[in-house]
Amino acid sequence: MSGQAPAAAADPVIPATTPATAASGDLGAPLYIAWQVTNECNLACLHCIEESGPGKAFHDELNESEVFRFLAQAMDSEIPYLSFSGGEPMVHPLFFQMVEYVCGRNAQLKIETNGHYLTPENCARLQRLGVKAVQVSLDGASRETFNRMRVRGEFNVAIEGVRNLRAAGVPIEINYSPTCFNVHEIGAAVDLAYELGAYSFYTGRTMYTGNAVKTWHRLTPTEQQYEEFFRVLHAKTDEYRGRMRVYFHEMGLLEELRYRLRHPAALLIVLPNGLVKLINALPFVCGDLRRQSLQEIWANFQRAWQDPRVAQFVADLATQPNKTATLHQWVYL
Amino acid sequence: MKLPKFAKFREEKFGGVLFETRSEKVFTLNPTAAAVVREIAAGGDERAIIQRLQERFHDPEGVIEREALAYIAELRQKGLVED
Repeated sequence: MSGQAPAAAADPVIPATTPATAASGDLGAPLYIAWQVTNECNLACLHCIEESGPGKAFHDELNESEVFRFLAQAMDSEIPYLSFSGGEPMVHPLFFQMVEYVCGRNAQLKIETNGHYLTPENCARLQRLGVKAVQVSLDGASRETFNRMRVRGEFNVAIEGVRNLRAAGVPIEINYSPTCFNVHEIGAAVDLAYELGAYSFYTGRTMYTGNAVKTWHRLTPTEQQYEEFFRVLHAKTDEYRGRMRVYFHEMGLLEELRYRLRHPAALLIVLPNGLVKLINALPFVCGDLRRQSLQEIWANFQRAWQDPRVAQFVADLATQPNKTATLHQWVYL
Repeated sequence: MKLPKFAKFREEKFGGVLFETRSEKVFTLNPTAAAVVREIAAGGDERAIIQRLQERFHDPEGVIEREALAYIAELRQKGLVED
């Protein structure tokens, strides 16, 4: 027999688990790492919030030993949840080795993909390795809108990929980015996601950053379109309750960032070259995995959110919303 | 009894966190709740888990047993333990 009597010995009832009341600063490590494993992509989507595309891999992306050193640190720090995105994560030459490593260490892993590499063989492999879910981007309920938005992409290939996931028994999530020319299809897109076997559907306002800056005039929905978009989403949330979760962020970026200033998420955004960002929607870098340990970066993450330049950037967005065009011009804190 | 694959437990200075990765909800645990979840993660049936907690912590009046059983029932109701 050893140790102290736990706190509840003095309390009449063990407090129930409650949705996160601890601030991220109380945690010894992040709870979630979102890793953009490469900037390379097979598609050149109009709305891409990164500056990804064919031939767009960073010249200094992490090499094999750096990739696995980082993953080992993440697993040793008991990070429970990771996602691999890009670019297109499945074009990374080490993709399956990375998936195998993370799943083999019992972390939960989500893959965020455009769905063009989801062959029956790859889906079966992802199922065997035990990924938590594969999130496929389906920005449209028709070939016409999807192919217009996802340059070099093919709606039927993505749909076939989702069907292959379902056949293999891999949990499916669908992601949808609204534009002025696909926004009217949101209801049909939610229905399609359910028909394809998805358990979650994610959407929100498309961001003015990355490749979207150059194409914004061809993309951005009007506020009237957004109103109708969210009205449909509320209805679909009710319609699919208990069968498929429909998640959407109605609040704009500014409101989200103001909230995050007070409540930073326990999340690190890792770029393909090992730089670590505070949050995707800010240009601030709080670490470099080539030079610092994950623990050092986590400590700096907490300090960096308090840096006055962060609050100033968020305040500036109120009068200069186009500042999000500079999110890829990194500012080191 | 064990934690489902989608429920990830990590010890923290304040107790622990239980991350339900399906709905992406995080539950913060006080030290006692963390002790219970740690034993669930280690495996065994309810009786074995209570016994290990009683061996670890002084519990002459059976307070830990009652509270741990209630807590396990709550976790079960939330789908955060598997039998």
